[in-house]
Amino acid sequence: MTHQPSTTLKRRPSRRVCTPPNLILALFVAAAVAAPVLAPQNPYDPLQIFGWEASSPPGTIGSGGYHYLLGTDGLGRDIASCILYGLRISLMVSIVSALAAAAIGLTVGVTAAYFGKWVDAIIMRVVDLQLSLPTMLVALIAIVTLGPGVDRIILALIIVQWATYARVVRSVALSEAGKPYIDAARTMPLSNARIVLRHLLPNSIAPAITLLPIEIGHAVALEATLSFLGLGVPMDQPSLGSTVANGFQYLLTGQYWISLFPGFALFGLIAAINFAGEDIRRIWDPRNRSI
Amino acid sequence: MTIENSEIPPLDVRNLTLQHHGASGTTTIVRDVSFVLGRGEVLGIIGESGAGKSTIGNAVIGLLGAGFEQSSGTVRVNGTAIETLTASKRHALRGRTIASIFQDHTSSLDPLMTVGAQLSETISTIFPDLPGTGVRQRALELLQRVGIPDPNGRYHSYPHQLSGGQRQRVVIAIALAGSPSIIVADEPTSALDATVQKQILRVLRGLVEETGLSLLLITHDMSVIAEIADSVLVMKDGEVIEHNATAALLDNPQNAYTRSLLSAVPRLRLSHEAPAIGQGGPDEEAAQCDEASEADGPVLVVENLSKTFGNHGLQALFGIGSATFALRNVSLQLRRGGVLGIVGESGSGKSTIGRILAGLETGSADKVVMNGRVCDVGSRGRSGGLLGRIQMVFQDPASSLNPRLTVAETLMECVRFTARTEHDRHPSRVTETVERLGLSKVLLTRYPHQLSGGQKQRVCIARALLAGPEIMIADEPTSALDVSVQAEILALLKQAVSERNLSMIFISHDLAVVQDICDAVCVMKDGRIEDYGASDFIFGRSDNPYTRHLINARPKIFTL
Repeated sequence: MTHQPSTTLKRRPSRRVCTPPNLILALFVAAAVAAPVLAPQNPYDPLQIFGWEASSPPGTIGSGGYHYLLGTDGLGRDIASCILYGLRISLMVSIVSALAAAAIGLTVGVTAAYFGKWVDAIIMRVVDLQLSLPTMLVALIAIVTLGPGVDRIILALIIVQWATYARVVRSVALSEAGKPYIDAARTMPLSNARIVLRHLLPNSIAPAITLLPIEIGHAVALEATLSFLGLGVPMDQPSLGSTVANGFQYLLTGQYWISLFPGFALFGLIAAINFAGEDIRRIWDPRNRSI
Repeated sequence: MTIENSEIPPLDVRNLTLQHHGASGTTTIVRDVSFVLGRGEVLGIIGESGAGKSTIGNAVIGLLGAGFEQSSGTVRVNGTAIETLTASKRHALRGRTIASIFQDHTSSLDPLMTVGAQLSETISTIFPDLPGTGVRQRALELLQRVGIPDPNGRYHSYPHQLSGGQRQRVVIAIALAGSPSIIVADEPTSALDATVQKQILRVLRGLVEETGLSLLLITHDMSVIAEIADSVLVMKDGEVIEHNATAALLDNPQNAYTRSLLSAVPRLRLSHEAPAIGQGGPDEEAAQCDEASEADGPVLVVENLSKTFGNHGLQALFGIGSATFALRNVSLQLRRGGVLGIVGESGSGKSTIGRILAGLETGSADKVVMNGRVCDVGSRGRSGGLLGRIQMVFQDPASSLNPRLTVAETLMECVRFTARTEHDRHPSRVTETVERLGLSKVLLTRYPHQLSGGQKQRVCIARALLAGPEIMIADEPTSALDVSVQAEILALLKQAVSERNLSMIFISHDLAVVQDICDAVCVMKDGRIEDYGASDFIFGRSDNPYTRHLINARPKIFTL
């Protein structure tokens, strides 16, 4: 008797989509998308910025009729608007790069596990090499060789991230590949490509989905670091991370709001992504679908 | 002792009702169950999956999971109602008064600790005052007692260095550490071979008789009950259907459900015993003989198939090191429309034959001819191999289906990719086949986890049949199923073979099942063919000692 009542009757996790983390994340995404409408000021339009109002504390009413709810930064830009615009770039860069890295890592990891032997050996040694280089170094080299620009940043982040997915996915795919449903597919025989993509990949995706939000969080942080070093997104498209970096020097002189509020936004965004990731994994699993 | 026995039984369960509170409401798992387990008695609880038998075991040990509630009734251990005890007093009962043995001997032991260390740990927890040498002494005694050969040597072994049977003996030794008066054994032998099962049951019976231990034995297997239980409780859907002494129950079952359970157990017919009439045996065999005379030679000929492990590259080149043979010079023939049984204990290489023939593994052979075409089992390539012409049905139906595809998706994929003609590709084939196998069309939209084990196995058979194979290999297709379902699946396989003029290789450790379905049998041991011949010959006249040993190892129930 393999199924004991205690396991078969275990409460199924709910498949509610409107959980608090999901709603908060949706709010962030909506804010990012609607930034041009929501933001009182376009912080990257010099005509809307008043330099003499630089470093105003939160709540100041500015001369342009702006109400600087969260204060202004060292150049006189409205922090609230910077956050909204920064969200756009941060979310776009990190989501696109994490998704692309996940797709590459998944395919590579599953392929390695399915074919085994020398295919596996070669792929996994490349992964090991990639993972033994410091992340920042790989990103820096990539940026330096590829040049600046949002698309290059995305490419650099993909190069940095894919190996993690490949390694995590491979270990799960190895155990899945040993199951009889894969044997059944092989005896049919289905093509290797179909077995890998239709059978092995969807069943090995769980760790990648768990990893995805964490890696999106990493991508946001990594992109912020690169921006801080002046190697990130260009100045006319600043991200949430570079906005935090902008205010870093002012922290010492007590102008906390410049870094702090974008920092909160960054924290809230990453936390919402992490919590929502658990829900996404749960919803994905067909074992949680009711009859 | 006898006076105490008559007054207070070690375990007295009265009107026990257990409920589970889940998201989908409250379910009654066990309803109004009463029984008494006397000193030195073995009480068997039998039932199919979901009958609530394990939940009773858990309630007795005091390990009901979250969400379970004992809504009425009492469980008295040596006269004390355990539900009135505090958690710490209950905890003190475990190991000293009640001990348990579980099915999975692999996960019951800590893989990082030696057998001796685990046993000593338990002993010194229960007897904190015992000195180190005393603990060791007792551990060795216990190992000796459960029949571990060379206890001194085995004391320092890790679990992975022991066989399955030895590991289960160690689990029993650990259960005995606190000299309990009751042992709850939940499927203690289900993961073991028939011969090992018999040994373990003998150990348990010996303990009961020598030490006056009481054993509550929970199982789905009537043969285990027949082997050692004094009385039996038959359960269905949480209720006791029948409660009687074992011999009386086996001889004269009162309840229809009990009768169906008993008749579903495949029994071995020896040649001096008259074959059961009306079981379809003689007619079937006659029909198969007719086919044989029409057939034009064997559909599959295998000559000297071997497979080795662990001797690669330079070592092999210089002949250093010895290769381990998984298979050694196996030769067999499969008659067109015939069913060849391959029997043997675990590790005998019987599954490896199936996997090589299905093209899932490589091997080396002098000759493999299928339908007059020479096939290469040495390469995994698709052109010369056997891949696609032989389909397999696997042991575990749960992992044989892609959990992310519905039944219809799985079967349609098979139809689309294996079709040779336009007609083959038609979706109606799926519904026809599914209905032929006794599955409702409604199930097509379900996912595998929404099906029962028997339904899943039917889907697996449907998938194998839809691929239009010439040969089907069934590797222990019924071992993971309840007995009643087992009989249905066997009937389906028989039907498929006769209707579609298929040939089948049937791999099993269960002699009775093999005799039921096969016309030729090949007995494997350590990668070699030990005995080979027609089914009647193997089960009736073969004088091969190993074959006789296997036949004699069959549980008592078959001799009743």
